[in-house]
This record gives sequence, C-alpha cells and structure tokens, in this order.
Amino acid sequence: MAISAMRPSMGALGRISSAYNSSSSSLPTTTAILRPLTQTATLSTTASLLKRHKYPGARDNKDHSKHRGESAVRRTGTRWRLSMSDEPLPRPVPRDQLPAIETDPDHGLWDFFPNRTTVANTPEEDAKHGRSWSVEELRHKSWDDLHRLWWVCVKERNRIATANWERNKSKLGFGEAEALGRDREVRATMRAIKHTLTERFYTWEDAVKLAENDPEVDLTGNGPAFVPRDYLEEGETAAVEGEQQIAETAQNAEAAPAAALDPVTISSSKPQAEAPRL
Amino acid sequence: MLIVVSACRPNHVIAFIRPKPRQPPNLATFVVPLQFNKLDLRDYLFHAYNVEVTSVRSFINQPTPRRKYGNTGKWFRPRSQKMMIAELVKPFVWPEPPAEKDREPFDHATFTKMEKMREDQIKKETDPANIPLRTQIKIPPSRRTLKEQAEEFMESGEWSNGKIGDGKWTEVEKDVPV
Repeated sequence: MAISAMRPSMGALGRISSAYNSSSSSLPTTTAILRPLTQTATLSTTASLLKRHKYPGARDNKDHSKHRGESAVRRTGTRWRLSMSDEPLPRPVPRDQLPAIETDPDHGLWDFFPNRTTVANTPEEDAKHGRSWSVEELRHKSWDDLHRLWWVCVKERNRIATANWERNKSKLGFGEAEALGRDREVRATMRAIKHTLTERFYTWEDAVKLAENDPEVDLTGNGPAFVPRDYLEEGETAAVEGEQQIAETAQNAEAAPAAALDPVTISSSKPQAEAPRL
Repeated sequence: MLIVVSACRPNHVIAFIRPKPRQPPNLATFVVPLQFNKLDLRDYLFHAYNVEVTSVRSFINQPTPRRKYGNTGKWFRPRSQKMMIAELVKPFVWPEPPAEKDREPFDHATFTKMEKMREDQIKKETDPANIPLRTQIKIPPSRRTLKEQAEEFMESGEWSNGKIGDGKWTEVEKDVPV
C-alpha cells in the first residue's frame, strides 16, 4: 500500500530491494545493502532508465492521466515519445517540391484532345469541317474501311464531347454551335455507314437465296464454292476459244493498274494509330 | 438492322473530364453512358485508345428536381449522369487551361458580360424582397432623350415621316358627318 502510493521510481527501488532479500536470503543483510544497485530483473526498473522521455514543452503530468489530450482526430500523436526507435522518420515532401510528372507523348488519352496543348478547339477551328460521307460514296468501300471510319467517327464524337464539357466547366466562351455543327456531320456519316452495311446485308441475304437454287454454286463448304458450267456446244466452243483468249488478255492488262491506283480504297496496311483523323 | 447493331461498332459517347485540382495524375475521370459498367470502360479504353487501366471506380450523379420552362412548369428530375474514375498504368497530366488573354477566339469578354447580365436579371426577377418602386427605377438616358425629342416635335409640329403620298388615294367620305 505504501509502495503503490509512492512515485514510480521510488516504488521500483522498493521492489528491487525486496527481490534481493528473497533471492539471496543466506547472505548477510549488510552486504546486500552495500551492493550496487544494478539491473537483475528482465524489465529495466533502474531509476536512471525509468526517467520518462520528455519532448520540449511537455508539461508535468500531475494528474496521472497518461493519455490526456491525445486524439486521433486532431492527430496529436502520443504524449510521450516512444522509446522503440530513435531513427528519424521520413517526412512527407510538399506537393510543390515534388518532381514534375512527365506524360508519355504517345499516351492514348491524347486522342481525346485535338492536339497536345489545347483541350477545346476554337469556334473558328471547329467550323472548318467538310460535309459528311454520303451513302453512295461508302457503297464502294470495303468492310474494313467502313469499320475504321466508324471508329474515327466515334473518337471524333468523344473529342467533341470532351471539348464541350471543358468549355462549359472552364467558362472558355462561345463555340457550342460550331461544335454541334461538327457533331451533326459526324453523326450523318455514322448513319450512312449503318445504311450501307444494312444494304449490303440485305443483298447478301438475297444472294444466299439465289445460290440455294443455283446448280453452279455449292454452299456445303466442301470443295470449290463456284463451278461454272460450260453451256456452249462442242462445235461452237472451238470457234469462240480464240476470241475468249484475246478478251482475257486485254482484261488482265486493264485490271492490274486499276487495282493499284484505285483512289477510293484506303490501304489497309496502315496501322490504326496512324490512320488519319476525320 | 441485325448487322449494324453489333458489339464491334458501339455508339457511345465518352467525355474525358479535367481532374480536380489535387487529383493525382494516375486517375482519369470520364462521363460515360448510364448503361456502361466498369468492365465496359476498361475494355473501351484498352481497345479504342490503347490505355491500360488497373481499376475503375464508378458513381452516379443524380441531379436535383427542376421545373420546366424556367420557373413555372411541371416538376421533373433530369436524367442522371454516370461518371467513372479509371486508375491508369501510365499517368496523364492535363494541359493547363488557357489564360484569360488566350480566350479571345472564344469571345470570352462578350460571353462573361452576357452571363453576368443573365444572372443579374434572374436575381432581380426571383428575389421577392427586392421589387423596386416605379420611382426607384432608374430611367435610362436613351429613354430620356427620346422623350425630349418627342416633346420638341410636338411643340414645333414640324415632324413628318418623310414620305409623300402619290395622290391616288383620296378621302372619299370626307364630307360625311360622323
């Protein structure tokens, strides 16, 4: 009772002396008192080590409330410096002193902007657009071309939507009407693509119906799909053969450069990233 | 329409949104269609834009109810708007917004002036505690000069609209007592 009422350092002194008394009772009491006070217990209870760490400006804790004033909400930290490590902890670097983050010049998200410096085109730039693709023009295009053009349109619409948002939120000024005009042309192109593909689908359906009744066409998938039959009689064949050969050579000579120089076909060897923007 | 509504040709519009001031550069915000889910955005960004994404967060902004025709019509709630925040593998820093002087092509001066006028007008109309008396309304100078000119003409009687009749039309019933 008396020990517990004392200061902690004094209480420890009492505990140490009692420990000596119980462990070495055979020794005379005088030697026990004269022996220096060194640590024997596993827990350090020496008076010098018992001294609490104090940070500068710490007040005396008279009321024995160890956690008074500590708050996780106010981020006060512990009142007493923890004695586990004296290593200095790393301090967070202020945001403005951090090195600038480099954006990859080939980052895919640049495609949401007209160029690398501006987010929204000026109304003058937005108004510089041509007409949409017509259905007649798209009928001559291949499936791949149409597919690629569709994705160009999708990206352009995303670009316009991004610019619209930026113009409204950052209060840049006018330009909504010009952006809408551009968007209208893009949507007309997309509608034309759908029109073309639908037409092509109906044509294919009709062709399948015809092919089912056509003896020259084999739809089973085994062997050649188209085997032309010779309708000419034996006598006529020999007479016509010479003419056919001449016609074929002429056709081949014409077809080769026409295929190479066909202006309406976009070369499909170009990768999608390099494809021209609308 | 079987072939045209296919998964390889989506018709969605996605807007890339400027990040908030302290948003880290590995987060990219998008406004997406309401039917979009996180996997849709991930695949869309990867296949259309070649952008890799580690995770996607999504939320929906529900607007407050509004009235049609400004202040008088039926109450309705505008359509909600879905936003998604993608965590990017490669960070992306937005270009700075244009400075005041660079907004000249957008006619920024007129735009702000018009916006201020509109706001003032709305404030004036909707504030019930601030209805000025007739005597408190300031008469614009143009109206005052117009009134002076009109009074001057009335006194002198010299005013005409500068048009001379061709004489074809004559008052027939001039002598008829009314």
